[in-house]
Amino acid sequence: MKTIKFEIVTPERTVLKQEILQISVPTTSGEITVLPDHIPLVSVLKTGVIELKLADNNTEIISVSGGFIEVMKDKIVILADTAERAEELDESKIEAAKLRAEEAKKNAKFVDDVEFANISAKIEKELARLHAVNKWRKLKSSK
Amino acid sequence: MAQTKEISRRIKSVTSTKKITKAMEMVAASKMRKAIEAVLKTRTYANLSWETVLRLAKLAETKNESLHPLLAGRKEIKKAAIILISSNRGMCGAYNAAIISKAKDSIKKYNIATDFILAGKKGLSLNNQNYNIVAEFEKNDLLNDAKEIYPIIKMAVDDYLSGKYDKILVAYTDFVNPAKQVPRVKQLLPLDIKTVDEYLGIVGKDPKIGVNQELINEKSKKHSSGDNFVYDYTFEPSPSEVLDLIIPRLLEVQLYQAFLEANASEHSARMTAMHQATEAAGDMVSELTLFYNKARQASITAEIAEISAGANALAE
Repeated sequence: MKTIKFEIVTPERTVLKQEILQISVPTTSGEITVLPDHIPLVSVLKTGVIELKLADNNTEIISVSGGFIEVMKDKIVILADTAERAEELDESKIEAAKLRAEEAKKNAKFVDDVEFANISAKIEKELARLHAVNKWRKLKSSK
Repeated sequence: MAQTKEISRRIKSVTSTKKITKAMEMVAASKMRKAIEAVLKTRTYANLSWETVLRLAKLAETKNESLHPLLAGRKEIKKAAIILISSNRGMCGAYNAAIISKAKDSIKKYNIATDFILAGKKGLSLNNQNYNIVAEFEKNDLLNDAKEIYPIIKMAVDDYLSGKYDKILVAYTDFVNPAKQVPRVKQLLPLDIKTVDEYLGIVGKDPKIGVNQELINEKSKKHSSGDNFVYDYTFEPSPSEVLDLIIPRLLEVQLYQAFLEANASEHSARMTAMHQATEAAGDMVSELTLFYNKARQASITAEIAEISAGANALAE
């Protein structure tokens, strides 16, 4: 089957660089799936879970928050604000982070809108991570 | 005896200077390590996003329509601004002098009225030289967060969009390796595909290996002129929505990367300068010690000669 080059980078590191068969990403206008030979596309990502099918037919799950995707003739590039592969994520830490963020939201009634939006984004990010981990686990157990 | 005292005083002062420079070297070295780590981490992201910018700019040019105000060039360039990244403190060799003179050169080259936006205190020396400084931003020795540069990019973009400036440049020092830093002036706005070799950093290269001109040429060929294919992108949800989000973000990343490069360069330059100073102080101490011993020997010899002469005179 035809593959396409794929690269996902954050300001901190290159999360994954591999040949893939297909990718599903959450964009602001809904989830899209990109296969090789897709028309060139630029779109904005929202916080969520990316699902990839690697060249060896394995599936990889990546949680992502913000950024954009650029599809070129022979390459897909995702420039994400943050991204983690599901297998690197530690569930208990995510739960703790989510709790902390929710706590902050509760206490944040009197802070300004910007702060509130930041906290909401944080919760969303943790939720996406959790979602990624769960998906990853389901995938593993089904094998 | 007077001479030996003088020399021993100098030895003492040089030794204490050496201690200070040594300490500064160590501080610079540890800051440098952190700065290099930071700069290498973001390089891939910065380079990839810059490629995206260039492709978008190319698309805008071939389509000959304005996709986004920041992608559109200006017909006439009346006024420019340079964001000059310098250090807060001296003691870093030619670091500041090099970047300031590079910035001045580029003003001379284009010969248009240029304002300065400064980051780092050392740039203020331009004040005495009839250059117009519109803002001076505070700069930390190490950037902790990309947010620290947002005010600068906001000012630059707003002034560009309002038409106050027709061109925004950023002058920073590109980090090649700890022994080599290259001052550079890069055009930030308008996003122009014709400006060649304005790349931020060299991707994926270990700073210890070093780079040569060939490698830079090869990189720029690979990234800009080599790929002449123009992508007729589909934008989802719509071009304006996507570009409104993407372009400011890409600019932020570019400036952020420039800051990281400048920081890594600054600390490397300081470390090198302080290392040299420490070595020079060591040389000076050993030279002075030699003088001191000679002087001491001479005074002892003179004393003995005097005593023996006196004894001889008494005996006669």
